Amino acid sequence: MECVVQGIIETQHVEALEILLQGLCGVHRERLRVHELCLKSGPNLVHAVPFVGPVASEVRLLCDLEHSEPTWTVKHIGGAMRGAGADQISVLVRSMIESKASKNVLRLFYGLGYKLENELLRVGFAFHFQRGAQITVTVSSINKMLKLHATDEAVPVTPGIQLVEVTAPATPENYSEVVAAVSSFCEYLAPLLHLSKPGISTGVVPTAAAAAASLMSDGGGTTL
Amino acid sequence: MPTKWVLHWHPNPGSTVNSQILNEVSQCAEAINGVKDGRWKATLTLLKPNLRDQSQPGEYPRELLGISLPEQPNKYYFILRGPRIVTEADSSIQVIMEKLQSYKSRIALYFEGYQYQLGDFQLRVGKVVSSHSENLRGIVLEVEYLPISSMEKASQVLGEFVDIWQEAVLKRSLPGSFMHNEPNLSEYGLAVQYAYVMAQLFASQSTQAVRN
Repeated sequence: MECVVQGIIETQHVEALEILLQGLCGVHRERLRVHELCLKSGPNLVHAVPFVGPVASEVRLLCDLEHSEPTWTVKHIGGAMRGAGADQISVLVRSMIESKASKNVLRLFYGLGYKLENELLRVGFAFHFQRGAQITVTVSSINKMLKLHATDEAVPVTPGIQLVEVTAPATPENYSEVVAAVSSFCEYLAPLLHLSKPGISTGVVPTAAAAAASLMSDGGGTTL
Repeated sequence: MPTKWVLHWHPNPGSTVNSQILNEVSQCAEAINGVKDGRWKATLTLLKPNLRDQSQPGEYPRELLGISLPEQPNKYYFILRGPRIVTEADSSIQVIMEKLQSYKSRIALYFEGYQYQLGDFQLRVGKVVSSHSENLRGIVLEVEYLPISSMEKASQVLGEFVDIWQEAVLKRSLPGSFMHNEPNLSEYGLAVQYAYVMAQLFASQSTQAVRN
């Protein structure tokens, strides 16, 4: 299970965001370069969903390209928490399971009958820190590949715009506290960007330019 | 992954494996000064694709093997025998596969028993039972030479130990013998050896069924 919010920021303000995050998190950023492959099971390979019928299943394979030896992670994102309670909170709470895997995991899933649905390359940086919960903030450009698996030839999907994601692992027992921690942290970023549940786009915030200018002139010393 | 040889009991034609043979084999380990050192268990799961149309298997594999080994409790191994793929993953991959529901467990084989220390060797004697029945399906033997982690270097020593073991078992005049495939030197060779044992067990039981 994880808690997630997303937002967008103009590339010209990313440096200011990094300064702000550095001050808030107290840790060094890590570079991010992840090849993400979304696989879907073939047409005859299904599972039954009550009241829906047979459906294909999806899984994501993440290849971390930042280090000399790429590492692979299998990720399954499940349904979001529903109900009146879920509607009232500004953070998405959803099922999520990850597993590290050996480098031939893509071959395994192809061998099992999964097909590549889409692939993208995330390039940017991430902060991992503890602030009421174990929080990860990633700031990245989303890039598409012009040729199959050609990560060296990727181009931005939305030039000039980068995606900001704030995620935190949670359990059914502690998700309320994690939601509160994430929401609280997001308030510090409000002058630069608005973070909301994935799928709910709010665009760039009008105060971003001024906030970024303040951060850049003061190197993060100014309290926004 | 540790460097081990996995042997399986091959009954003589007309005979079957039974608990008395298992007892004799265990006594054999103690007779050559093996010191009982705890229990062990490995699990091999056979998964089948969840097909919308069973009459059209198409390009999907007939089965996927999943293996958990006692020396790697946080890991899980998948084997696709056709394309010879062995994948190591965190044990949480099992939860992911359950969520995907594209492949479902049909039967599990449990390899379990006692392990013995014999100087620089570790011996594991185990029965094989399935999730569908408590009947004994087979007997396995794991042999590990502890000082060396390289399978290539340990092969000769392991081979000599197995020769001694075979002689000890032969003296008990049991209706069968231990057999092993050429040890797999690949990175996940132990998982591959268990997959081979499973294949041999199912093959021998199919032969037995035909005879009956």
